[in-house]
Amino acid sequence: MFQTIDGNGPRSALKRQDVQTKLSRIGKADILVGIPSFNNAHSIGHVVRAVQAGLAKYFPDKKTILVNSDGGSTDGTMDVVHQTTIDDFRSILVSHRIESFSKIAIPYHGIPGKGSAFRTIFEIARALDVKACAVVDSDLRSITPEWIELLIKPVIGDGYDYVAPLYHRHKYDGTITNSIVYPLTRTLYGKDVRQPIGGDFGFSGRLAAFYLTKNVWESDVARYGIDIWMTTTAIANNFQICQAFLGAKIHDAKDPGADLSAMLFQVVGATFDLMEEYPQTWKRVVSTEHVPVFGFTYEVGLEPVNVNIQRMLEKFRLGARELGPIWEYILSRDTMDFLTGLADAPKEDFHMPDRIWADIIYSFALAAHHKVINKEHLLKSLTPLYIGRTASFVIETREASGQEVEDKINKLCEEYERLKPSFIERWQ
Amino acid sequence: MAIKVRGLDMNFIQRILIEPLERFYEQFLTFIPNLLTSIALLIIGVVLGSILRLIFLKIFRAINLDKIAQRIGLFEMFARKGARGSLSAFIARLIGWIAIFIFAAIAVQSLRIPSIENLIERFFLYLPNVFTALVILAFGYIFSNFLGRAALIASVNAGIRRAGMVGRFVKLVVFILSATMAMEQLGIGRDTVLIAFAIVFGGIVLALAIAFGFGGRDIARDYLQRNVNHPKEQEKDIEDHINPL
Repeated sequence: MFQTIDGNGPRSALKRQDVQTKLSRIGKADILVGIPSFNNAHSIGHVVRAVQAGLAKYFPDKKTILVNSDGGSTDGTMDVVHQTTIDDFRSILVSHRIESFSKIAIPYHGIPGKGSAFRTIFEIARALDVKACAVVDSDLRSITPEWIELLIKPVIGDGYDYVAPLYHRHKYDGTITNSIVYPLTRTLYGKDVRQPIGGDFGFSGRLAAFYLTKNVWESDVARYGIDIWMTTTAIANNFQICQAFLGAKIHDAKDPGADLSAMLFQVVGATFDLMEEYPQTWKRVVSTEHVPVFGFTYEVGLEPVNVNIQRMLEKFRLGARELGPIWEYILSRDTMDFLTGLADAPKEDFHMPDRIWADIIYSFALAAHHKVINKEHLLKSLTPLYIGRTASFVIETREASGQEVEDKINKLCEEYERLKPSFIERWQ
Repeated sequence: MAIKVRGLDMNFIQRILIEPLERFYEQFLTFIPNLLTSIALLIIGVVLGSILRLIFLKIFRAINLDKIAQRIGLFEMFARKGARGSLSAFIARLIGWIAIFIFAAIAVQSLRIPSIENLIERFFLYLPNVFTALVILAFGYIFSNFLGRAALIASVNAGIRRAGMVGRFVKLVVFILSATMAMEQLGIGRDTVLIAFAIVFGGIVLALAIAFGFGGRDIARDYLQRNVNHPKEQEKDIEDHINPL
């Protein structure tokens, strides 16, 4: 469970003298764009240029600041941020800047992770009393100056507090989002936010200050759990929410060293913790509301992705063989019988139905709620099931178009919604 | 003469039969209260043991001890080995029996039999060692289950075919370590510390070897693909090339 706190924590990066000097020199700002980074020297330059151009082009009359919150990069990421600049604005601007633009690159304090980087960005936003903020990933290759307008404008011009991204992604990209986080967020909180953990968000200064009142910075929120925590906190506390269509999301390939099960543990763990935090909110929700979308929607070309289904099936089968006794504590007898049969099924017959998958996720949420086994063991034992579900999804959608895949994800959400009443009953 | 013989007989009977009987009677009279006290203590022990068993059973159920045991992996021992009842019932029964045992020991001591008193005194002096050894064993079992399960899940997620064996190995090593520490506490096998050190050191070396193996597997795979399996390019894995978030 999360607690509420006030003020900067003992690990606040703002306590450093040099940072305070920089901030007092800037005084106040209207718009802040944050870029969390860790060893992104090769890609962050493009992101910084896009942000700088976006701020100059769309907000020339606003005092703006770019904050790079770095996790101790050793490849010179912060140097790239300092050195990157647009020398000639004439190609992108029709008018000259009136207000100033500043840049800060500082290492954040606390647990290494994206959430800790965001915390430093929120603290700077509060210290400078900014009106609107945006955060964008440092490994983006498809970011354009328009992203900054799309993430900031709804906050500055239309009074929204939170702008979630909406992208066109490859059908096999964002599998945790598509199979777990999006259906759960939509079903539980009743808001159709398609990319709740997209990574690039816009939000008001008011919401940034609200985030800082929560004492979550020693939990999974300090790592990959930050995205779902930001989205859910905004929804559950009735902040005004919208989406911005940003086009294609193309980024660097996932760090091969990053552990999938750790990522799954942090994201799903944070999602389950939020269920503990807001039970009275999600239990009341019975329908899904459309969330307004800003930006002009268009089709985009996406990079192909190769998938080794055989290896995924092997991992699922290994999990079914070795982790069966653990799953027995969590899953129903029917689901266990189905999984045992599925493990023996040949590749062409391999199919994990939506009903089974939704039941698995709800059962894991209940096991976490009732503390059936150690939480880390519980969530990490979900990995082979997730891989099995992803393999089934890939097999079923091999020939499907983008729209057909969206329809399929929609059907999965309906299955989550159908099982929600019995889930609430079992939660009590 | 007849009187002398009769007097002698009387003395003989007095000395051989009556006096021992009188002494036995006196001792018996002295022993009776001890015996009665002892029986009373035993009965109190049995009653108290039953009451304690019921009280602790209720406390354990109130604090959901069985669920906690399940979370830390202790439940598996009971489920797999088909032990009667739950962990809370087992511990409550154990507490009841300990109470009965303590009262039984006090009851025996209250008989005031020197040899038994001496034996019980030595036993009670040794008891803290037994208790400490049991605590070490219990914690060792809990840790072995916990770490064994963690190793099993990590191995499965890393795609190790013999994941079950890795989990069982870790569990066994941790339990053996705790068992050697418990034996050391009981004074059995003075060299066990040395053995335990050897096990721990061997375990660390093995762990480092495995860690190095995992860390370098991509390098090894790339090397083998380049030099041995060059024409047959492996298909890329979804985990390595797309962002699941």
